[in-house]
Amino acid sequence: MGKTRVVELSPGPNGEERTTKMTNLEWALQYVKLKVQEMIFNGRKTDQCGVILFGSEETDNIISEKSGGYEHVSEYIPIAQPNAGTLAKLDALKPSEVSGDPIDALIVGIETQDVYLAKKKSWTRKIFIITDGENPIEIEDWEATVKKMNALDINVTVVQVKPQTLVRLSTHAINRGVDFDDEEFQFQEDDKSNIKSENEAFYHKLTNALDVGIIGTCAHALQDISRPEVKQVKSSLIGSVIRLGDVDVRPDEAIEVIVRASKCTALARPKSWKKFGHRETDEDAFMEGGDEDEPKAVFAQLKMRTEYYIDRSEQNADEEMKTEEEENEDSELGHKKDDNLEKVEKEQLVKGFKYGSTYAPCPDGQFPRLPTRKGIDICGFFPAKSFRRELSMGEVQYLWADPGTPQQQVALSSIVRAMTDKNVMAIARWVSKDGMDPKMGVLVPRTLDGKIDCLLWVQMPFADDVRKYTFAPLGRLVSKKGEVITKHPYLPTDEQQEAMDSFVDAMDLMDVGDKNEDGTRGQWFDTRLTYNPAIHRTKQALFHSAVVNDIATNPLDPPHPELLIYMDPPKRAVKRARDAVEECKRVFKIKEVPKKAPKTRKDGHVHAQEDDGEELLLDRKAPTRTQPEGMSQITAAANTPAPSKPAADSDSETEDEEEELLLVKKPGPSNHPLPTPARSLSPPVDPGRAPGRIIGSTYPLKDFKKNIAQGDVVTKAVEDLGFVIQEIVMKPFSSRRHKELLECMKALRDVCLKEDEIDAWNVFLRDLKKSCSNDPGNPEFWSEIQKLGRSISLISTPEAAKLGGESDVPENAAEVVSLAYLSKRARIQA
Amino acid sequence: MPAYDDWNNIDDEEEEELQDASFFEGKRDVILFCIDCSESMHELRDDPTYEDVKTSHLFTALESAMQIQKKKVIVGPNDSVGILLFNTTRPNDTKGRASELKKNSYIYQPIAPISAPTIQELIQLLDAAREDPELLKTTFPPVPGKKMPMGDVFTSCNWVLRDGAPKTASKRIFLVTDNDDPNPGSKQLLTSAKTTLIDLTQAGVQIEPFFIATEEKPFDASKFYSSVLLPNTVNDEEAEDGVLPESISITRIDDLLSQMRFHEVPKRALFSVQFELSKGLVLGIKGYGLVTEQKKGVYKYFVDLGDRMEVAGSRTVYLDESNQAEVDKSKLLFGMELGAVPQDEGSDDEDDLSGSAARAVPLGRRPFYTADEIRSFRTLDLEPTIKLLGFKDKSELAFEDNIKHSIFIFPDEQRYSGSKRTFTALLKSMVAKKKIGLVLALTRRNATPVFCAMLPQEEKAEEGGWNEPSGFHLIPLPFADDIRAAPLDEAFRASDEIRDAARAWIEKLCVKNGTYPPDSYPNPALAFHNAQLQASAFREEFDPESFEDLTRPPLDMIHKRAGNLLKEWKKMLANDESANVVVATTGSKRKADVNVDEAEIRSKHDAGALSKLRVDQLKDFLKSKSQSVSGKKADLIERVGEWLDTHG
Repeated sequence: MGKTRVVELSPGPNGEERTTKMTNLEWALQYVKLKVQEMIFNGRKTDQCGVILFGSEETDNIISEKSGGYEHVSEYIPIAQPNAGTLAKLDALKPSEVSGDPIDALIVGIETQDVYLAKKKSWTRKIFIITDGENPIEIEDWEATVKKMNALDINVTVVQVKPQTLVRLSTHAINRGVDFDDEEFQFQEDDKSNIKSENEAFYHKLTNALDVGIIGTCAHALQDISRPEVKQVKSSLIGSVIRLGDVDVRPDEAIEVIVRASKCTALARPKSWKKFGHRETDEDAFMEGGDEDEPKAVFAQLKMRTEYYIDRSEQNADEEMKTEEEENEDSELGHKKDDNLEKVEKEQLVKGFKYGSTYAPCPDGQFPRLPTRKGIDICGFFPAKSFRRELSMGEVQYLWADPGTPQQQVALSSIVRAMTDKNVMAIARWVSKDGMDPKMGVLVPRTLDGKIDCLLWVQMPFADDVRKYTFAPLGRLVSKKGEVITKHPYLPTDEQQEAMDSFVDAMDLMDVGDKNEDGTRGQWFDTRLTYNPAIHRTKQALFHSAVVNDIATNPLDPPHPELLIYMDPPKRAVKRARDAVEECKRVFKIKEVPKKAPKTRKDGHVHAQEDDGEELLLDRKAPTRTQPEGMSQITAAANTPAPSKPAADSDSETEDEEEELLLVKKPGPSNHPLPTPARSLSPPVDPGRAPGRIIGSTYPLKDFKKNIAQGDVVTKAVEDLGFVIQEIVMKPFSSRRHKELLECMKALRDVCLKEDEIDAWNVFLRDLKKSCSNDPGNPEFWSEIQKLGRSISLISTPEAAKLGGESDVPENAAEVVSLAYLSKRARIQA
Repeated sequence: MPAYDDWNNIDDEEEEELQDASFFEGKRDVILFCIDCSESMHELRDDPTYEDVKTSHLFTALESAMQIQKKKVIVGPNDSVGILLFNTTRPNDTKGRASELKKNSYIYQPIAPISAPTIQELIQLLDAAREDPELLKTTFPPVPGKKMPMGDVFTSCNWVLRDGAPKTASKRIFLVTDNDDPNPGSKQLLTSAKTTLIDLTQAGVQIEPFFIATEEKPFDASKFYSSVLLPNTVNDEEAEDGVLPESISITRIDDLLSQMRFHEVPKRALFSVQFELSKGLVLGIKGYGLVTEQKKGVYKYFVDLGDRMEVAGSRTVYLDESNQAEVDKSKLLFGMELGAVPQDEGSDDEDDLSGSAARAVPLGRRPFYTADEIRSFRTLDLEPTIKLLGFKDKSELAFEDNIKHSIFIFPDEQRYSGSKRTFTALLKSMVAKKKIGLVLALTRRNATPVFCAMLPQEEKAEEGGWNEPSGFHLIPLPFADDIRAAPLDEAFRASDEIRDAARAWIEKLCVKNGTYPPDSYPNPALAFHNAQLQASAFREEFDPESFEDLTRPPLDMIHKRAGNLLKEWKKMLANDESANVVVATTGSKRKADVNVDEAEIRSKHDAGALSKLRVDQLKDFLKSKSQSVSGKKADLIERVGEWLDTHG
């Protein structure tokens, strides 16, 4: 068990094969830990386990305490409901140099289990032997042990840790619902092959002699544990009543059928993740480390807390501008705004609604509800053929007649059968409880196996739930003159239609599934065999992280093949469609439209226009203009006391301004580019977007993130942010925004790196450098960039390659760009 | 500083359901109603709804604007609205305005977030105008003779929007006019209108025209507007020549409001992804949510600042409880719940870790996942795309295979040229062959892949000027994990006689050629909530009596048509032999004891001796009648009594 083995890992990000080395023990323990983890996951008090070691240095078990013998077998973890500590203890196990007898351990296990379960007769007993099969076994008397195990009705599973070269033995699924684990390991030096094959034969004999005995390999057991398995949820039957007509006033001609509802489909969600953070203080780490010397990294489970705040800074200005969304975003942007935020205690808050910008008081958090009465009211029937399937809104429910009342069953059955006969559906209004909001839906008749009649319910949309967007007609185009157009690039030609028809025929799934008993192929795809990748992959990942100590060196295994069976079209259909696909490619000529360079504003129409147009154009530009003007007035005023100052050195001038601007800034919000006076003139802030640009100069970073988040305009966003940064940098008095600009650049570089816009970054940076060092320029800003060093310089080939991109800049050149400026700067100063 | 990729924070996806709605609420919308005030708009006609009342087109337009505002304020409380009138001589009060408007245009409501006072003001004006039909004419006197050039109108709109509309919002102009040729004979004015409109479009503003036609005065779009209006390039459509802009809608005045309703929410795509028919055969599509549950708004927390109420923002922080340290969102790691703190006896774990779970590993190791890794588990590292798996017969799409609302997809010519013709050919082919598609869809970077049935939809004209668009509906199919087994498998079944009796009344209550009509069922709970919300904002008393729930079943109609047949059916059911069968309950003796006959309970009730029954007997009876079993014995007795009384 102390031998190391090479374990294949899931392929790396670039598809390369990866392996890691671990001892057989570590590998086998993964299986044990996964089993234990499953018990923790299920959290049942009746799922308990204990661990007994054989081949341990010390001897510590209940039999040797009483009567001696049974050496190198020790009870490592007493039987109990497992928790995170159980896993930690398993982690602490190290291979030993001594050997112990598995039969000894088995007997100890049986005894320990029997003592523990003395008063719990009904519990299922299970023993798992995990071994590499390389330890000597004293095999006399083993039949007695078998007899005892059969008498106690113990399930035994032998899990063998085998070298990869060995052929797999017959394998079996491991039973679930583990009650009791025996964990055994051993290290043995000599004559392995001989002992091993003998032992293997013995284990087969052992498991065959047992009533319930299974033998399998660890590799298979590990894979099996990640097999997707559907968690069966028993739906509870919820009482309700189907009504038709006025049961209060005209009960003699109104119907009430007592029914039970249960779910037919219910959206299952992946188990949620808990959030953890790395605890920084070393003190804790050492304490946690306990008796071991090596320092530990401690990860603490985090608790969530909601804080409320109001934004004082916005109040005297344009609070209208500030929406919830933006506030949230800002807080995510970091602590930039924190100075203006004022925390409020939850007790100070009152509930209410927003009616536009008006406050609508509602201290209870909700208004009185619509009075309703529990039950399902049938409103009418309609032919099933006109049902619009796409309007179904959610989960499907069964409605059964009360299982205890035959008469109600007959009543519902008659309705279901009549509806089936006439092929109709019912429109119904469902109130789940007195006072609950009603839902509208349809009822569909169903008969299951000819034995029971029921109705199915699905919710349908209210008028409020349907959005009526208009779309251009697809098959019918009308010219401006009102004539129907028959030939147009949007309309498929006969040739194209033919190609598509044969494609649809070829990709038919009705006859490409598995063969039926009679040898014909059935259809491909069955919802009952589709597993939600999110649920099962997440569960696998959850378990994995619970049993390994480092994700980076021991990443998660690839998904179980069953999870992926329907991810690609069936090969049979793909093969059949090959020609049709080629034909489609040929006749449809679909082309990806290159990401458009931003349309430079056509100025042509301005001339064609009357004076108004020009005025309009000026007007639009106005806000951007007032910006620097407003500022320059202020700064100019501030500058006047020191007119004598030599203005030669551009650096010192900028610094001065920075100081003065600090003073100016104070009354207004710190991150606002417009000084307060300018803003009061027109409350809404102009985003400062130049025509055709999607990034404005006012909140460039925010605009950028918003666009990146949308995902499909990356190139444009990158280009525009670069443009805006340049623009701001080159403006006079930009120094107060340097910090912000650097943030922009960091974000920009990050995106460029990840979104393969590397060339764009490198071009941008070179341009920026040029502009900064020109006269008038902004050398100050460039030197700030340089201070950040390599992390903001050109993206080099190796760096790009890491993320799968390409760059034409070698690594050394990336550094040189930064340095080049330094020398130039040195020259200027000299 | 937090990493830039906060936007793909894992948190977002945990509330995937919520996201759909917040997507629409998150973005703000600005509508500027731009209403013609010329002579013909002022002309008084018989009111479409009220008898003996004369109203003008202008009145209806203003009323529609008011109704839309009322609706919008609920759907998007952050949205802004304004009203601009043109062809009126009323001068603007210039004070406080940044820019002048063009002559003969008047800003009635500047662009501002919708608020109760502005809506109330408009309501008052409309009420007064209903009393005095001439009022609107005197308030907004029409320009005599020559009309305002449309170019000037658009310029005014541009200025108004620029002054008032927030930067990030989608901006739209609802143009209402009955004049199909505002500037007859002037080529120059036409060009000017066109170019100003291009300006507007480039500033991200869309025009949604509502042209009013009457019998005596039809609206001919080709005279002026078809050459002025462009397809909404900003939105999505292409600036191709020769095709009539889809946005032109010509309506009768009665339909104005419903036409505006269609455009109430700006059309926004949920996603824009590739649609892979086969390897190398890829087109572009956009997805839209046409069916989404509209929920009541969520209350907000307000702070009383003395003079007004301010919404409090909220922010979630993650804390390490043992040292109250806040953890940066970008540094969060994810893993399995640690479970209870280990209670090892006599070990060294009993120090400061008590209370908060933590996990220690050798330094430099990381036992938890990063947000990126988590996302890859969810998406299986697929890129957002919709991948065709094949086709099945239409009949294979079962009613039961539903779990969520559908999504509508439409070709996106701007990403892949040729998408439209390919998409159209596919649609036609599938309709002709009666097929549905099966696709694997990952619609957003952060979502989970899901199998969908792809249901073709051909264009269909419906009543009320609404055209069902052509495209595909993607219906998410349940996974095995979502399917539950039927808990019952056998029950008594009805004889053919009783079935026929049921069929008799079902036939009477069946709407031939009918279907489920979403439009006839406004959500009553939502409307009830919104009515109270409006009353609260208007500081008015809410009268629950005045509220009408349109989803209630049509009782009178049911009884009139099928009352006798229902009676007949009930009689047969009472005489059915199943009435006398008592189901033997398996289980303990005690349980059998509980099962008291309904007749016995009724006789106890008649004798006023219900209290003699035990609580479990009462509960069992109530349960069998699908009644609540909560409360004390007295409550149970009362409830049993009530039930027996109403079911005598």
